[in-house]
Amino acid sequence: MFRASFASSEIKQQCKDNSTQNLRRSSNMSKQFAGAAAQVLDRASAAGAHYADVQFWTIRAQRMFVRNGVVRQVTDRTSTGYSVRALVDGSWGFAGSDKFSKPGLDETALRSTRIAKSSTVIAGRVRGVKPTGKHVAEWTTPIVIDPDSVSLSARADHLIAAEKNLHADKSVVAGYAFMTFWITDKEFYSTNGGAISQRLYQSGAGCGATAIGKDQDPQRRSGPGDFGLYQGGGYEIVQRADLLANASRYGEEVVQLTAAPVLPTKTCDLILHGNVLNLQMHESIGHPLELDRSLGWEANFSGISWVKPDDVGKVRYGSDHLTIYADNTLERGMATVAVDDEGVEPKRVTLIERGILRAFLSSRDTAAQTSLPETASMRAQDWASIPIVRMTNIALAPGAGSLDSIIADTKDGVIMEAINSWSIDDHRLNFQFGPQIAWEIRDGKRGKLFKKPTYTGITPQFWGSLDRVAGPEEVVVWGTPNCGKGEPAQSGRTTHACSHARFRNVSVGVRNRA
Amino acid sequence: MPSQAEALALAEKALGFVQGADQASVSVTYEDENYARFADNYVPENLNSIQTTINLTYVRDKHVGTAIGNDQSDAGLRRLVAAAADVTGRVPANPEFVSLATPARISKPVKSVYESTLAATPEDRVAKLVPVIARMKRSQLTAAGFTQTQYSITAVANSLGVRASFAATYGGIEIKAMAPQTSGFAEYFTRDYATLDSAERADLAASKATVSRTPSDHPPGTYTVILEPPAFVDCMNNLLAAMEAGGVLENQNSWMVGRVGKQLFSTNLTVVDDWSNPLVAGQPFAADGAPTKKVSLIENGVPKAYVSSTYLANKLKIANTGHDGYPINAVVMPGSKTREQLIASVERGILVSRSWYTRLVDPREVVITGLTRDGVYLIEDGNLVRTLKNFRFYTSMLAALSDCEFGDTLYLAESTDTPGTLAVPVAKIAKFAFSAQTSFA
Repeated sequence: MFRASFASSEIKQQCKDNSTQNLRRSSNMSKQFAGAAAQVLDRASAAGAHYADVQFWTIRAQRMFVRNGVVRQVTDRTSTGYSVRALVDGSWGFAGSDKFSKPGLDETALRSTRIAKSSTVIAGRVRGVKPTGKHVAEWTTPIVIDPDSVSLSARADHLIAAEKNLHADKSVVAGYAFMTFWITDKEFYSTNGGAISQRLYQSGAGCGATAIGKDQDPQRRSGPGDFGLYQGGGYEIVQRADLLANASRYGEEVVQLTAAPVLPTKTCDLILHGNVLNLQMHESIGHPLELDRSLGWEANFSGISWVKPDDVGKVRYGSDHLTIYADNTLERGMATVAVDDEGVEPKRVTLIERGILRAFLSSRDTAAQTSLPETASMRAQDWASIPIVRMTNIALAPGAGSLDSIIADTKDGVIMEAINSWSIDDHRLNFQFGPQIAWEIRDGKRGKLFKKPTYTGITPQFWGSLDRVAGPEEVVVWGTPNCGKGEPAQSGRTTHACSHARFRNVSVGVRNRA
Repeated sequence: MPSQAEALALAEKALGFVQGADQASVSVTYEDENYARFADNYVPENLNSIQTTINLTYVRDKHVGTAIGNDQSDAGLRRLVAAAADVTGRVPANPEFVSLATPARISKPVKSVYESTLAATPEDRVAKLVPVIARMKRSQLTAAGFTQTQYSITAVANSLGVRASFAATYGGIEIKAMAPQTSGFAEYFTRDYATLDSAERADLAASKATVSRTPSDHPPGTYTVILEPPAFVDCMNNLLAAMEAGGVLENQNSWMVGRVGKQLFSTNLTVVDDWSNPLVAGQPFAADGAPTKKVSLIENGVPKAYVSSTYLANKLKIANTGHDGYPINAVVMPGSKTREQLIASVERGILVSRSWYTRLVDPREVVITGLTRDGVYLIEDGNLVRTLKNFRFYTSMLAALSDCEFGDTLYLAESTDTPGTLAVPVAKIAKFAFSAQTSFA
């Protein structure tokens, strides 16, 4: 599915097309904000901060969007700013700013400290934890093709060609294709002597179509993944998304969907393609294992969790086939970094081992409230946003065999692909997912196609019914670019690596609609 | 923070650096955002961020490119212009493009800036939380939520002569009160932070959390419901999201296709998009400077109109209502009964305080699914009799709104799932379907 869709000569031509279009950023990883950082940290310390850190960001975001053959949107965004965290008597204050003048730096440092002091009026049960250790590093996301080496005209040609393939017939009323690139330079400094610079590359591409048949019931088919294929890396991610071939398939399938019946209500085996399974992992494993939720810090908005720190080692989350780990060093992970946004180095941590809960995704503050390990999961959307505990890279340990072998091994079931709608409660227990397309499985063979498939379940029972996971050769690193969390709301980039899986006796089809 | 005049001057300065374009537009946004977030009865997060965004669109021979930055220096503005021109020169022409917004009279905004919000300090925000935490401790509850204040300025200048600017303050609070097995919720949003009575809100959230100590099972099914504003807003947002030209005319997947002018809903349902409503006090122009018109979306149950942007209005040859793709100033017109009278009129039903993770399943019938949270109660003979565990709902909003009535008071309510903040009353819906019940409240 993600084989390269470009011949090497085509890549060379794209590179040749590129001329003046390039990033207006420093090509070296020097600490260009070291002087400003020293000023901010000194000012915050003098104002009473027991600890402070500052992170400077330059974010470059490029997006191109094609709709029905027209390049509808081309944006090139650059934003430079910094954020200061100050710790005073166990309370944190945060200030983000794009004012780089000397008075601006001073004012932002003082503001973060003043905010921290104001919080101490309501004494905390949990004290802020001062990050320890002096860590100095430089790191860049490995890339194969620098996005800037591919011209805008080549990008447009590629998207227009892919989008055209979506229009399998006249029932396709709308098609789109897009690509997005984020290149983020960060410099982190702390009063502990931390000095870390990173350049992160994250890229994504996708396409989709809407078709309306005789019954006037619109059908949608899109992919790869939830919204496209997103990974850590450069333009090679666009190639892996294989939009030209996938668009042809989506166009044919969306037309077929307009004449397909609705999936009936029944209980049967359910095979989830990785492009649905990854979101199932995201919603019913990744989020409930964020330690800040479990401790109640997200209770008002994102919710809490059905599992608690005391459940580690005791609660059965799923079957023996379920092993999940957090790995912020994962190749192609959207959340892969050298350190997180409070300067903690990542490591691989097993979250669920053969169905048993083993750990949570954590920050220094949250880990300190428990005896659980830190997972370097503190992330901020940008320089204007406070770092919070985030689902980062999580992965489902692969089993054995191919998707085809799982289908061949299924007597009565349904396979579902590509997400359309999803919903889960604020304890992360009761969920209902609505993929775009499904096929029945009869006696080991893929059969009739259905539209509007849905399935429902309760998290531990559902994962408890997991009985097959496809092998490592079919694992895809699926990124999600827009995970919402926090107040004010932040959009995070997460990753879920998985193959495909089968669940026994799942409730599919809708019920009790008024 | 700069003034509106300074923001407009910055936009004009950037516009002045543009050369060789057929048309160009610059928008400048300043945002000063403050949140004091509380959980477990203390303040783990407390923040401020100040940022500027400069958005420059460059048009030449129907080639259109946009560059966005935050460097306000002359050199930075010149780089932004160069970046937009560079993008424009490297993408194919857009045959759909007709023109940027043309000058038109923009009405004077209603009062949208309040000193109480503008001047609020970190200490003021924490002071709003002190009575909240005290109230929770008095009832052995814990609370989570936030209080916020923010100030924003938007200014637009384009080469066709459009000039517009707007400033607004906004503030509010959300409180989730938690007992061991139950929870309650209250919120309040306003442009005038001085009107926020956090103690009163805390009392409401606490009282809702303690209707019952243990939540009850109750069979899912179709019930008459009372949806409080934080629950109703998510339901309405799924309806409103499709009331725009792109969904109706371009993608043709809106529920409005073929239904404009037909009696579809209860005659009690009237929705207008009206930035001039004092509760809304919204921006009277779109992001590109086109005047935002008051649009009657649904009149006495009959869908009447959808909104459009400059781009789509020009492409589709329809009226430009001056919206950025969504009726962001929607107001659901109130009815004549109080909240208490609506509850009293329910023989057997369910009151829902708040909804969560509401998603569209079927766009043509506006079938939505989501969950209740933070206070669900059984109503018998007009009284709240006990707290219930949460439900998953799965219902068509077209069907639900065919038999409904509304409370007599409007509230600003924030959606948990979409960026829209709507002015809505309490809603009574005769038939609302719950497909499953959860194991907790």
